[in-house]
Amino acid sequence: MAKESFDKEIQFLRMLVLTSGAFSRQQFAERLGISVHTFDKTIRRLKDVVSSMHQHLPQEQSKEFSESLRFSYYDSTDPQLLFLFRAKSVKESESHRISLLLGAMTGQARTAMELLDLCCGSTSSELPMPDEKTIRSDLKYLEEVGVIRKEPGPRPYKFRIQDDLVRSLTNDELIDLYDFVDVMANTQVPSVQGYLLRDGLKKHLMRKDVEQHSVEPFLYKYHYYSRILDEAHLFTLLHAIRHRRKVRFLYFSPKSEKSYASKNTNPLFERDTKGKAEKTLPLKIVYDHQYGRWYLIAYGREGIRKFRMEGLTQIEEDESVDEAWYKERQTELAEKMRYSWLIDTGRPVTVRARFFNPEGSEQNFIKERVLLQGQWGQIVVEDKDSFIYEITVNGTTEIRPWLRSFGSSCEILEPAALRREMIAEWKEIQSYYESV
Amino acid sequence: MNLFEKIFNHQILSRLEDSGTFMVTSHERAWLKTMLEHPAAADAFTADTLDKLRSALEPDPVMDISLHLMEKARSMEKQVYHPLLRPLRRHIMNKTGIRITYEIKGGRVKTGHSGFPYKLEYSMVKREWYLLWHHIRHHAFMSTRLKNIHSVEAEPIKPWAAESILKKLGETLDSRKSEVVIEIVRAYNAEMSRIMYAFSSFEKNVEYDTENDTYRVRVCTLGDEMEYLLSKLRFLGKRVRVVEGPYLKKRMLESSTKALERYGVIPADDESST
Repeated sequence: MAKESFDKEIQFLRMLVLTSGAFSRQQFAERLGISVHTFDKTIRRLKDVVSSMHQHLPQEQSKEFSESLRFSYYDSTDPQLLFLFRAKSVKESESHRISLLLGAMTGQARTAMELLDLCCGSTSSELPMPDEKTIRSDLKYLEEVGVIRKEPGPRPYKFRIQDDLVRSLTNDELIDLYDFVDVMANTQVPSVQGYLLRDGLKKHLMRKDVEQHSVEPFLYKYHYYSRILDEAHLFTLLHAIRHRRKVRFLYFSPKSEKSYASKNTNPLFERDTKGKAEKTLPLKIVYDHQYGRWYLIAYGREGIRKFRMEGLTQIEEDESVDEAWYKERQTELAEKMRYSWLIDTGRPVTVRARFFNPEGSEQNFIKERVLLQGQWGQIVVEDKDSFIYEITVNGTTEIRPWLRSFGSSCEILEPAALRREMIAEWKEIQSYYESV
Repeated sequence: MNLFEKIFNHQILSRLEDSGTFMVTSHERAWLKTMLEHPAAADAFTADTLDKLRSALEPDPVMDISLHLMEKARSMEKQVYHPLLRPLRRHIMNKTGIRITYEIKGGRVKTGHSGFPYKLEYSMVKREWYLLWHHIRHHAFMSTRLKNIHSVEAEPIKPWAAESILKKLGETLDSRKSEVVIEIVRAYNAEMSRIMYAFSSFEKNVEYDTENDTYRVRVCTLGDEMEYLLSKLRFLGKRVRVVEGPYLKKRMLESSTKALERYGVIPADDESST
């Protein structure tokens, strides 16, 4: 069977989430470089998945698709984009059979033949009867993904669902487990497996008559909602890194390198529909908390290369490289990224900035935030009204937005060029509002 | 490990749900085992439960992700779990009232106030937990950092009173929502993706004006989110402009004027200078 690719769905969902409601069908399709027909087909498929997952919320189905995906903070902490990972297609008969098998192996161990009998005897059968080979291959698959376990003992082997995790716990302990999974999935990366587990535990709790109100006691403020889409590529790339393998992919750069001022169309979504074929050696994955974005840092003929994870499609592994040589590249990269605020590997510069303590406030939230977010920077001088923060970073581009976010509570002292740029930028921002 | 396993397929999942079967894959167990190595685990479980979990996960591998993944621009992780999380979530679950002693700004302590807790909120920015609760006598919705809570215990509340607070809560939150409109300055349309990522943590709608090739982001915020939104706007700098929302406009003008004063570009406290 051809490998099922979710590239289109991922691109599609990302755009839907980021630009919620901005485009018509036609515009949307154009910007993704697909036909309106493909657009409709994709949306129909995603809708099917969503509605089967929210079968208990019939009103959801009638809602517009983008509307139902809209981020609404107080509604729910369920990550709605999780359904992407539920979209792998499975034949009707197979989904029926697998759920039947798992149900039968809950609570007691069964042999393949017992399971075959059970499947054949199952009443709801307009569906084809499975043969022994099919059942054995199902069992092999389920064992591989760790859902069932072969019991110790002589042939014929018996299989049982592997649910020790929840079986050994009391209801009260299950709540602790659910909470822990919820908190960790929401505050750590990677999170997709955590969200999948959370989903399973939540349903398990609700079967035990725990109310909806009780399974959602937590809220998380300011989440990058679309970050889980890029985790789709994470494990493919990690596999390549682990095995020191090169990868090939088609890259759609999210930014246009050219000057954009004269352009009449939207450069981001006016994609080069062909993309650029790349072959490179992955060294490291970076997650940027500032924007909630993922990067692939790789090594190619030109040296270190950086790719935005969202631009990667059709990833495939290629040949592996020598271990000692690979280690050298990794060490070299670690050295170069030591002072990267995000991923800049340019020349290190020392930035000095004066931060002003808030006037008339007992709580110094400026200093708190600098300590919290200032990475490896240090406070080197401090007096009653202000303090000086110093950091060595590769280039000033990546740290600049953070410094600017402090508004007038931050004055750049060095380097002089950054100081000048910041002044120019504040002048421009001021001009936006002067007439107000 | 492939996240697109057929075992995660939605049809299989909903059938399992119908038959009441709990299913967990090795992917999820490896993730959980990895997370249990985080210091937060000690606050999340009793020692006994933690032992049970560790032994159930004994045969599973730990993920090696931390070797290959680097996290950048992350806030220092002060707190992932807080010891009060477990008792408080149970008060919320049981819809019980609380008697709370807590510290407010300036260090003053409020002793023995009656309240009704409804959510626990984690700020990804401050990396801290807050209790959202209703102050019974003041009829006010409160947000208190867990670290500022000196003591809290359950206190009975009539079920109808609890329900009426929850109902009122929904209405109050809706009424506190306000909308601002932010325009992406057209010259920076090329940076759309980055700008949209920055707004992706807000409830929002995007409008695209085909004729002028301009994007406008309609952000829906609760009152207490304004400061965070402001810091995001300053973060993006000249790429965006507030077009609707007098308060934000005023604050952006203040920020830029005061910043220029700091740099000595315009004299301080001279309103007439431009």
